[in-house]
Amino acid sequence: MSSSSAKEVLFGLYDDETQLLDAVKAANSQHLEIDNVYTPFPVHGLDPLLGLEESRLHIAGFFYGLTGTSLAFGFMTWVFTRDWPIIFGGKPYFSAPSFIPITFELTVLFACIGMVVTFYTICGMGPGVKAKTLDDRITDDKFCIAFATAGLSNDDLGKLTNFFTETGASETNTKTL
Amino acid sequence: MNQFVFESRQKQLFISAMILGLVCLLITFFTDDAYHSRFWSNILHNSVFFTGVGFLAIFVLSAKFLAYSGWHTIFKRVWESFSMFLPIGLGLMILIIIGIWGHFHHLYHWTDKAAVEADPVLAGKSGFLNPMIYTLFTIGIVGIWIYFAKRIRNISLAEDQEGGPLNFTFHRKLKITGAIFLPIAGFSSAAIIWLWIMSVDAHWYSTLFAWYTTASWLISMLALTILLLLYLKSKGYYTLVTDEHLHDLNKYLFAFSIFWTYLWFSQYMLIWYANVGEETVYFQTRMNEYPVLFYGNLIMNFVLPFLILIRNDNKRKVGVMVFVAVLVLFGHWVDFFLMLKPGILHTIHEVMGHGHAVVEEAAAGHGHGEGHSSSVAGFSAPGLLEIGTFIGFLGLFFYSVFASMTKASMVPQNDPYLNESIHHHV
Repeated sequence: MSSSSAKEVLFGLYDDETQLLDAVKAANSQHLEIDNVYTPFPVHGLDPLLGLEESRLHIAGFFYGLTGTSLAFGFMTWVFTRDWPIIFGGKPYFSAPSFIPITFELTVLFACIGMVVTFYTICGMGPGVKAKTLDDRITDDKFCIAFATAGLSNDDLGKLTNFFTETGASETNTKTL
Repeated sequence: MNQFVFESRQKQLFISAMILGLVCLLITFFTDDAYHSRFWSNILHNSVFFTGVGFLAIFVLSAKFLAYSGWHTIFKRVWESFSMFLPIGLGLMILIIIGIWGHFHHLYHWTDKAAVEADPVLAGKSGFLNPMIYTLFTIGIVGIWIYFAKRIRNISLAEDQEGGPLNFTFHRKLKITGAIFLPIAGFSSAAIIWLWIMSVDAHWYSTLFAWYTTASWLISMLALTILLLLYLKSKGYYTLVTDEHLHDLNKYLFAFSIFWTYLWFSQYMLIWYANVGEETVYFQTRMNEYPVLFYGNLIMNFVLPFLILIRNDNKRKVGVMVFVAVLVLFGHWVDFFLMLKPGILHTIHEVMGHGHAVVEEAAAGHGHGEGHSSSVAGFSAPGLLEIGTFIGFLGLFFYSVFASMTKASMVPQNDPYLNESIHHHV
């Protein structure tokens, strides 16, 4: 999720996704509040551990698709029955079966583009936007757990550093996003 | 519980279903016309339907071996058991063949010698549409399917005895068998569909028809798989089959319902657009004389499964799964009804119209000749006797499936892909 204000983050890098899963479980049992987890690929079983809800993107996708369906079918109906009726091969003006392929294409097009735009907007991505990355290697071979450190006491910070050493993080760093 | 027990209560249930089916068939036999067309067409309809389900089970298994697929491994015995129905299916089709040679029925217009001689279209097709080809192709092709089904079953059982979790030798054999079977299955199923189903409309043909029918079989097979797995889970078997496996099966059901619709529409639109009389007559008949079945077919097999299964959680809810599986199973059974019955009815009208001795008898019984708009019992829509016959065949099918389930461990312990299947996660 994007946020405009700067955020202090303490993060640890792991070499393996099983280490990461164990670490997330440990964090849950110690009631440490994870800010976010970054992985180079989708890790199975991570979503329920983080308590993430199922994405509602596909619900939006359904309605984008529905928009495409009705626009395409409605537009062709209007053009061929009201605006500019033409007889093709002796078929009636309202030739529903021949509208179906284009309706199908536009349904897919609207659903795809709508979902991409929605996804990019939610994630604060877009052309020219510079991605805020904690560490370049999390797009390659490192698995990262990040904690927000704003307003934490030294005691709490010590707990977090301890947590990273206990769970076998290969590196620990801080960064301001 | 890795050993399946075929309880006597289940046996009783299936046998009583079979008796119900038999009684329905007998009632049909004694109440329909002189050619017993309702009786014979019901046998053909259900035999074709369930033989196809058995064939598709072995087809899907072969495809899975070839694709290195592992998620289905826990319940692959279910598909193996489905395919063990094929010998019974062949037996039922031989019944139809005996009917052709003995002139017991007039399901196919091309079996009528006088009609073929008088009709240049039928005469032109008589090189393919004749009793000899029908017999040889049916026995040959279903025989080949049975051979491959048995072979895959045997390798799989041998693996259970001699294999090991890291032993891929048996799996390699399965892969080779599957690789040989798939192309054979693709072409042979098309040929058998032309003979069994498409040739009831002997004047008509469509190049898409075989695919469309196979998609229908595939969806019926998946619906039966989902229903059987849910039943077996409720009996305490297959605890390893989780929501994840059922989710994937329901994705199949969803995707192949769309695939079926795609083929249905491709066939429909090309014929509608080209507007050639010889082709449009197929849809002309079905849209004008069977409007409820024609549009109901699309609602049951496309609109409802599409709208219901499009949501993710719905593919995991038992109630929804059962509802959709029963709906599409019945829907595709009706689809086959709609493929077969109008053509058969037309043939009967033709045969009776040609002044056979039985015309008076039939006219006395039903009062039809050219009365196309009036409804004909067992043809215009599935009646109670058709439903009863369907239940009877379901009983026969599941009796055969359960009997083969008892012959092997339910979960293939030594399949190298078993571990992957247990940890399957969508």
